[in-house]
Amino acid sequence: MRHLDWYPVFYREMLLFRRKLLKLGYLFSAMVVPIIYLVTFGLGLGRNMKIQGADYLTFLIPGLVAMSSMNNSYTWVASALNLNRLYFKTFQIFVQAPISSSAIMIGEVLAGIAKGLFASGLILIVGFIAAPNLHLTWLFFLALLLNCILFSSLGVIVGMITNTHEDISTYNNFFILPMAFFSGTFFPVDKMPALLKWLIYLFPLTHTNIVIRQTVWNSAVSTSLLVLVLYAAVFFLIGSRLIKNYSE
Amino acid sequence: MIEIIELSKHYGPPGKRITAVDKLSFTIESGIIFGLLGPNGAGKTTTIKMLTAVSRPDSGTCLIDGFDIFKKPLELKERIGVVPQENNLDRELTAYENLKIYAMLHRVENAEAKIGQIFSQMGLSDRQDLIVTKYSGGMQRRLLLARALLREPAVLFLDEPSIGLDPQIRRQMWDIIRETKTSGRTVIITTHYIEEAEALCDRIAILSKGRLIALDTPAGLKARIGGYAVEFMDVNGKISRFIAASKDEAHDRARSCNCSVTIRPSNLEDVFIELTGERIE
Repeated sequence: MRHLDWYPVFYREMLLFRRKLLKLGYLFSAMVVPIIYLVTFGLGLGRNMKIQGADYLTFLIPGLVAMSSMNNSYTWVASALNLNRLYFKTFQIFVQAPISSSAIMIGEVLAGIAKGLFASGLILIVGFIAAPNLHLTWLFFLALLLNCILFSSLGVIVGMITNTHEDISTYNNFFILPMAFFSGTFFPVDKMPALLKWLIYLFPLTHTNIVIRQTVWNSAVSTSLLVLVLYAAVFFLIGSRLIKNYSE
Repeated sequence: MIEIIELSKHYGPPGKRITAVDKLSFTIESGIIFGLLGPNGAGKTTTIKMLTAVSRPDSGTCLIDGFDIFKKPLELKERIGVVPQENNLDRELTAYENLKIYAMLHRVENAEAKIGQIFSQMGLSDRQDLIVTKYSGGMQRRLLLARALLREPAVLFLDEPSIGLDPQIRRQMWDIIRETKTSGRTVIITTHYIEEAEALCDRIAILSKGRLIALDTPAGLKARIGGYAVEFMDVNGKISRFIAASKDEAHDRARSCNCSVTIRPSNLEDVFIELTGERIE
């Protein structure tokens, strides 16, 4: 792969993204869901609750950041790739360009990371207003970045294998939505019944939530980081392979 | 030179397989306009997709200047420009941004100058900063052609280049395609318009149901069936047709019937009907 071959792929996504940002509706829709959660669970249900010794909002906000970065990285990449491939046929421009499949993959994933981080930034702004004593460590940012890489790569996979746009929502309902609720976003995983726990520990978002809330390095953090890196690597390789084997 | 060798492609699950392209073999010389002519479903677009790196054949191969395009896809992509049948411009970006991204993807040198030059060649200079959705259908088609020419490809593929265009814009497209050939490039077009094939192509491959039916110059193809067509119209307005080898034979035939008769030079539609028993359009 030649140096910076991925850049036009990324650049195109960013041009489209910038145009979307200029429309007011986008910012609003990107923020409304997490704000609803923040108000419902943080200020409503959890007002006088303490979790792991801290007030509930401090617990909730990193979880909401993880969830939003997952949703935004994944959905944007999967949905755009699916539409570009099946309806607008603009994906074919990349396939017909003299660049490698991993260059296309890197460009798409970086664009997904940018969108995931952007949405996370919005939540953090709201979060700092709602809970000024929120404290972020470098583990928070590491977990956030890995989460974006992992779910952007998953987005490429789903965007490449779905044959109608409607199929995207099937994957959402089976994987993304349960993960958003059961992976420790709103309450600690140890409150879940033992039977479900093994499944929950398969979810990558669970491990993001473990790392994103830690302030110090420990063995649980190392294990979860390893799981996240493995997921990211495997998804990235599968995504690249799917692009490489693309044929109409 | 482009050599297509036993190229085949099927679609659908086993048991319900549809053969789109069936052991297609022919050669395209460099520097000519080569036409793939046939009705919808003849396998033209599938063939183009295989030759332009978006589809892989089930069997067979294609060599361009001796290298196998399926084994060295990057080398293929360095040589081709494609105007697909379906508009695949980024509609939410400006015309300029569309060409800029393409130039970046293909590492076009002096991209700014070339983009400016191609916009003026296409008569789109004053509209390059418009979002593509604001372009008319004809302008979008010209923009697709501009993008494909940007990297100065050795081989230009056009899949149904003038479909849905009004006659004036169609002729503009033809002029640009002819200019492309004069600069030494090979142009491969698919069409189901007889007029387009006759106006542009140096050689034509007639396809039907994924198979090659005939390959020759337009004049050669017509000579195969006979130079004249005699059309008889009966009282109900139904037209029947006879192909004659010579003018005398055509006149003899015309006199044999006491009805409305037209004699005209035979065209590629006649060739297609004679060779396949079907109509093109």
